[in-house]
Amino acid sequence: MQISGLDYLVFGVDDLVGAQRYLEDFGLAPVDQDETGGLYEALDGTGIILRKRDDPRLPEALSTRSMLRQQVLGVRDASAIDAIEAELAKDRRVTRLADGSIEFRDPLGFNLKVQITRRRPLDLPAEKINAPGAPAQRAANEIGVWEDMPARPRSLSHVVLFVPDMDKIVAFYTGRLGFRITDVLTGAGPFLRPAANDDHHTHFFIRTPEYMQGCEHLAFHMGGPTELMVAGSRFTRKGYQSFWGPGRHKFGSNWFWYFNSPLGCHVEYDADMDKHDDSWVAREAPSGPEASQIFLLQWREKWAPGGGPEGK
Amino acid sequence: MLRLCHIDDVPKGATRGFLPAPGAPRRVIVLWHDGQLLAYADACPHYRGGTPMAWRTDAYLSGDGRHLECHAHGALFDIASGDCIAGPCLGRRLTKVALHVDEDGTILVPDHVAGRGGSER
Repeated sequence: MQISGLDYLVFGVDDLVGAQRYLEDFGLAPVDQDETGGLYEALDGTGIILRKRDDPRLPEALSTRSMLRQQVLGVRDASAIDAIEAELAKDRRVTRLADGSIEFRDPLGFNLKVQITRRRPLDLPAEKINAPGAPAQRAANEIGVWEDMPARPRSLSHVVLFVPDMDKIVAFYTGRLGFRITDVLTGAGPFLRPAANDDHHTHFFIRTPEYMQGCEHLAFHMGGPTELMVAGSRFTRKGYQSFWGPGRHKFGSNWFWYFNSPLGCHVEYDADMDKHDDSWVAREAPSGPEASQIFLLQWREKWAPGGGPEGK
Repeated sequence: MLRLCHIDDVPKGATRGFLPAPGAPRRVIVLWHDGQLLAYADACPHYRGGTPMAWRTDAYLSGDGRHLECHAHGALFDIASGDCIAGPCLGRRLTKVALHVDEDGTILVPDHVAGRGGSER
């Protein structure tokens, strides 16, 4: 099952205008916008499809209040879709759409679609750093930061789901869709990557009661930690609410910065995630502040020393 | 008592979040409901210590305007009682903040509202 990752996440929201403004301010580019919503793209064409909660084109909602309506997974070619259809049709309904994509539900009722990926290849440099002992990555006179430097999300990275039955969903994603478990936070759940994607995770599952089933957060890759902090600082200054970060996770090594959103879940900037292949042996650590991050920082208004003692 | 805001700072039909003191760990959410001023700590009870609930400055209401909402995971709270009626903290409630309104319309809150009020996360 050669799944390459997430192409889109589809949401049905209550506050469409607020959510549209939010995703644009987050740094995604609106495509095909009208009063019913549209697609919000990262630089590689992956992104968020926004609609009103009651839009008849949306797949059926979960019975909880979750606004996540569908995960759209990409594969390289039609034969990969055929292989997934043949496997899943053994025990569930698989709907073939006119464009050749297929739709189905996982055992917990999350709606999925598999299509030939629309992800565009990116040709952009990673953040470049200079360090003693290593060749300089930036040429002489090439500066590292400037006030209006670009800091736009490059690619849809991962989705985190609240799941009421961990055994069922893990068996489905690993056994039927070919995902690998990269690491496990005991007490929360596993990180997973699909066979045709070497990122540490495109999915992470967190065990919850049934009434919480839904989306915990989604994340976009940035070009590096500086872009992540520039984008997060700009977003904060526009009035958006930081939830957790900036910081750097241990499992995956990715930098993170999470924000509240009108999508019923957090939306995250991430950067510099580990890559893995099938020789990797999953680690396990108890879920909690120690295992979750190597360090955690908090945004504050710009400040500089100066001005002399208080009251002088 | 600490000065939070002025009564004119809270328009009918909107929610506002105010810091009770510079550097206070949590804002106080103030809104009108059925002709009464109500206030809650901006601290969703889903996680210990409470986490901030707006998705943007002053944006505390659900998309349909009928509930207070935590925009971390979409928990809904009854505006009058603060009870969580859907979402991760089902069965818990927001912490009410007592308001005192002066004759000139200044809204005051008890000093403890600006305290640490529980550990961060």
